[in-house]
Amino acid sequence: MGRYIARRIAQFIPVFLGVTLILFFITTVLPGDPVAVRAGTKPLSPAVYKSLRHAYGLDKPWYVQYVDYLGSLSPVRYSPKSGLRFPGPDLGVSISYGRPVIAMFEETFPYTAELAFAAIAVEIVIGIGVGIVAAVKQFSIWDTFATLSTSILVALPVFWLGVMLQYLFGILLQQWTGGIFYLPIAGASGPPFADWQYLILPAVTLASVSTAYAARIMRSQLLEVGGQDYVRTAQAKGLSPSAVLWGHEMKNALIPVVTFIGLDLGAMLSGAILTETVFNWPGIGNMIYQAIGRRDYPVIFGGVSLILFIVLVVNLLVDISYAFLDPRIRLGSKVEG
Amino acid sequence: MCSGLVGTQEGGTHVSTPRFRSVIVLAAVMVLAVGVLGAVGCTPKAATTSSSSSTPVKGGTLSYYIGEPAAIDPYNAQETEGVQVVHQLFRSLTDFDDYDATKLVPAAASTWTVNADATVWTFHLNPADKFSDGNTVTAQDFIYAWNRIANPNTVNTATKKADPSQISYHLAFVRGTDDYGNAPKGISGLKALDANTLQVTLKAPFAEFDYVVAHPGLAPVEKSLVEGGVDYNGSKVAFGEMPVGNGPFKMSQPWKHNQYIKVVASDTYYGAKPYLAGVNFMEYKDPDTAYLAFQSGALDFSQIGTGKIKDAESKYGDSADGYTSNPGKQVLLGAENSVYYLLINNKISVLNNLKFREALSLAINRQAICDTIFQGSRQPADNIVPPGIAGYQPGAWQYAKYDVAAAEKALADAGYPGGKGAPQITLAYNADGGHQPIMELVQADLTKIGLKVKLNPFADFPTYLKALTAKNFMVGRLGWVADYPIIDDFMNPLFRTTSSNNYFVFPNKTFDAEIDAARKMTDPTQRLAAYQALDKQIGDQVPVIPLMFYKHHHVVSSRVHNFIFSSMYLADLSKCWISK
Amino acid sequence: MSDDIRASEVLQGGVVGPQAPPEQEPPTENLARRELAGTRTLWGDAWYRLRRNKMALAALTWIVILVAVTLTADLWVPQHFGMPNAINTATAEANQFLGPSLGHPFGTNQLGQDMFSQVVYGARVSLSVGFLAVAIAVVVGLLLGAISGFYGGLADTLIMRVADVFLAFPYIIFALLVLSVLPRDFVTGSILPTVLTIGVLGWPSIARVLRSSILSVKQNDYVDAGRALGANDGRLIMRHILPNAIAPILVYATMSVGGAILTEAALSFLGLGILPNNLSTMISWGQMIAQGQPYLTSSPGVVLWPGLAIVTTVLAFTLLGDGVRDALDVKMKD
Repeated sequence: MGRYIARRIAQFIPVFLGVTLILFFITTVLPGDPVAVRAGTKPLSPAVYKSLRHAYGLDKPWYVQYVDYLGSLSPVRYSPKSGLRFPGPDLGVSISYGRPVIAMFEETFPYTAELAFAAIAVEIVIGIGVGIVAAVKQFSIWDTFATLSTSILVALPVFWLGVMLQYLFGILLQQWTGGIFYLPIAGASGPPFADWQYLILPAVTLASVSTAYAARIMRSQLLEVGGQDYVRTAQAKGLSPSAVLWGHEMKNALIPVVTFIGLDLGAMLSGAILTETVFNWPGIGNMIYQAIGRRDYPVIFGGVSLILFIVLVVNLLVDISYAFLDPRIRLGSKVEG
Repeated sequence: MCSGLVGTQEGGTHVSTPRFRSVIVLAAVMVLAVGVLGAVGCTPKAATTSSSSSTPVKGGTLSYYIGEPAAIDPYNAQETEGVQVVHQLFRSLTDFDDYDATKLVPAAASTWTVNADATVWTFHLNPADKFSDGNTVTAQDFIYAWNRIANPNTVNTATKKADPSQISYHLAFVRGTDDYGNAPKGISGLKALDANTLQVTLKAPFAEFDYVVAHPGLAPVEKSLVEGGVDYNGSKVAFGEMPVGNGPFKMSQPWKHNQYIKVVASDTYYGAKPYLAGVNFMEYKDPDTAYLAFQSGALDFSQIGTGKIKDAESKYGDSADGYTSNPGKQVLLGAENSVYYLLINNKISVLNNLKFREALSLAINRQAICDTIFQGSRQPADNIVPPGIAGYQPGAWQYAKYDVAAAEKALADAGYPGGKGAPQITLAYNADGGHQPIMELVQADLTKIGLKVKLNPFADFPTYLKALTAKNFMVGRLGWVADYPIIDDFMNPLFRTTSSNNYFVFPNKTFDAEIDAARKMTDPTQRLAAYQALDKQIGDQVPVIPLMFYKHHHVVSSRVHNFIFSSMYLADLSKCWISK
Repeated sequence: MSDDIRASEVLQGGVVGPQAPPEQEPPTENLARRELAGTRTLWGDAWYRLRRNKMALAALTWIVILVAVTLTADLWVPQHFGMPNAINTATAEANQFLGPSLGHPFGTNQLGQDMFSQVVYGARVSLSVGFLAVAIAVVVGLLLGAISGFYGGLADTLIMRVADVFLAFPYIIFALLVLSVLPRDFVTGSILPTVLTIGVLGWPSIARVLRSSILSVKQNDYVDAGRALGANDGRLIMRHILPNAIAPILVYATMSVGGAILTEAALSFLGLGILPNNLSTMISWGQMIAQGQPYLTSSPGVVLWPGLAIVTTVLAFTLLGDGVRDALDVKMKD
């Protein structure tokens, strides 16, 4: 297991370097100057302009900036004066706000995590539940309904779903109930709603497409597993249908579903830009999107690095859980990396 | 609902009833819960005219909506949020009158004089002016603060990284700012004649410099606090997180980024003490969410949500003058000192034709833009100078109006009758700023008089800015927010040949000499007349096409009296009170 | 990775994806009847099965109708409903947010423009972007996947690592950055950059599908036999390996058109996809939604109709893809 993890981390490093290198290169050809953008239409003296560009290292060639950036990611620092120190990675200072990037992430990441976990919860409960029902009652009205609705859901643009939900639950509902019952349609907190009420619409929106996929996978996996020999054996042995389902079928059928949900969690923790933009949810997706629009390079690089790291960790956890769920893997048969 | 779930099906699974019922019930409950547990939104408070008397009541805390400022340290107070907070915490040498932003009133300086040729200004400080920590404000504090602004290597007190001021252009008037690095003691034009007297020598004559020093960013700061930090609960906080100033309010705790900035009344303020006990600046990323909060009674001041202006007007009542709110008259729609206009690059030969420019300007239906897209939060521009500026003359720019017949005639006079033979016009703008609908309407109007017009969007503002700087456009757009309520602040930045915002080359003569001449005049009447004449002269050349003036679209709660929100986008929170 | 296509990206390497319910056919078939129906050939068989799949057939019909409508739009839409971007500033405010009527089947938007016309011309953009982007992804993916799978070794490792990098890049961020960089001019406007971006980001999945197909087929005897007979590499690929690998690619490509349409809508919603250019008919569904969103309180139609258009179109491609997979899979099982 340890060797497997080490190998995965070793595979991750060239990918990380590749992605960040491409990112740095793109930003050099990206038209637009973050310092000029910050000044907007107000005049900027040449001395201040030069000073700001120097402070952010923008006057160096991009490959030098890249090496500096990699260096700053290291959690260990050495200087002749104070020796070895461990201050943690330094992601720089935002050009637009003058604040440390890490501080900005510390403020916004909890919101993204909150949204991601809420969406995953919806995905697990409804996705798996609907998948089970559809498989168990195959060819019934429930199955048709489930298949049809999941087909439609995966064809929905997520941002459109978000906007329509805003309309239905924020505006229409408010009109119909005369302003008594309705849900907030943007932001993450503030009176008169409690914080968790702000989470409802964005979480449902974010979860929608994934729930549909999860349901479909669950259904097809259960159907496939249901035709296996060992299931027939279990039924022949006289086990009750529920025991067969939960004791045998689910364990095997769940593996691809868990894989999917795990990878999905990684994607959601990377910041769901579309959902966050529609609902003005103050997560890292929103932050990175606005940073791109202002050419705030430290935030963009820091954000992408963070996302890559999160996806690595989540993928690793998914693979490890996969190993635990499937004893064949745990007990030593070769796993393709 | 479900008939028996038990049954053999091909490839299906056998399942017992109760387990499944519970799953379905759980799912159903979740769906219902979402709908039912939607918040109880309070019905908005009806606009009740307060029955209490109009004598001020002391106490209470006002909740004020802002977005996250870039900085509340005065040296870098650049956008409206930051400037607003700084304006409550600090007082500069002069200030704008609450009810008429075109008039100056004494603030940190009780009197000031200017010499005959408007090059040397002497400000006599109010000896009662103190910082909130009790120290008297001296001329040295101003000199230190202004040097900090001019210094290209100023360090951000919170991150300790170089973060020079973005507002140093205010001090461009002062002699010595340009070669800041070379002079040993900073800006050479600043001198403290004594602890209470500040003398400022300008680079060139400017009779309205007293308007410039009213900017909140030019406030005094204490060197010891900037460099050493501010005491809070036994530890030191960076000055930029908890600035200490000489204004009617002071910070009660450090800035909680993206959440709130809390200030309380300062007892060392030299002027009339605020009625309020304090103000909470609540930060919202989204103005629509803020409006929801306002409607529920959690905010006393907010922007009105998109598309809800008419609704708010009927609910809360219109303010009498558009800038002051009292119970029952709470919706603020006064014109702001900002203008939205189209740029013209007259290096393109067709745009170098005056009649052609006149045609463009006359063809645009500005009222339709304001009504269709902005539903009342903008008003058509008939001048480059907005109504809130001293000396504004309606219609001074004679071509900034909608007259299709005149436009067609001008087009014919330009040599393109009915648009025949005219080259294609492209409208440049950045796609990320909501400008597209405006440009589409402009395109429709210009097409109506026979021109071929194409939209030329740039991906985002940085790309667009780059194209503008490289003069890679035909007709573009920009907005300008005045820093001082004087005509000069439109003439100089937009039309001086060397200004960074000037994209137009005046064909026959420039107006730099006129601007400089007006700046020399110390007699206010003479000066105003000169600027008005200049305004009209430039307008006749149509170097830009003014489209709209911005308006307030804000609302105040019914418990606040005498809330003032000026055309300079400054609120004077020391003059309002909350009725119980 | 974008919310929309994240799931399909996750499930790469195979053609796992949304599955339609299995066909309900009788277990045995009349061979004679099949011969009459012309199903003796590979593709005829598949076509026969596709025709019998009701949902796939409906989807195909809808797509054909859509393509026909967009191709002929210039002939009948402006005359009856007006040009999509036409504005009359004098009457704009009066014509805002009109409800559905004969002259405006989908009503009007915030600038008084007819929404039906906009949806029809938006279909043009969406379909072109969808097809072109997938075409680019398929061409690049086939090329690199073939090299990778067939030659193996260093080329394989290199190409797969590059594919990893592309897949690891957060999708939307990459798309936004690339779109901010690519120049737009009056002629090509923004279709080309958008198509390039989506296409270039889509090749890794196709390459992987082809590669795994090739790997599984490479061991087969007939490949060795072909080589023994002196066939060169190109011939082996074209005549033996590719036809068998084409099936999953076809399925994936069909469903990817739907995905590409969703991505284009998302990018336009974020303001970086399709932008107007010299054609007064350039409009995108995603853009319609983005511009209509602030006016939701006034009229939900400005957002509803373009969204429904996207949903039905993407659904059609998904169902068609399902149908194609079922048609080809059953053939393979046989």
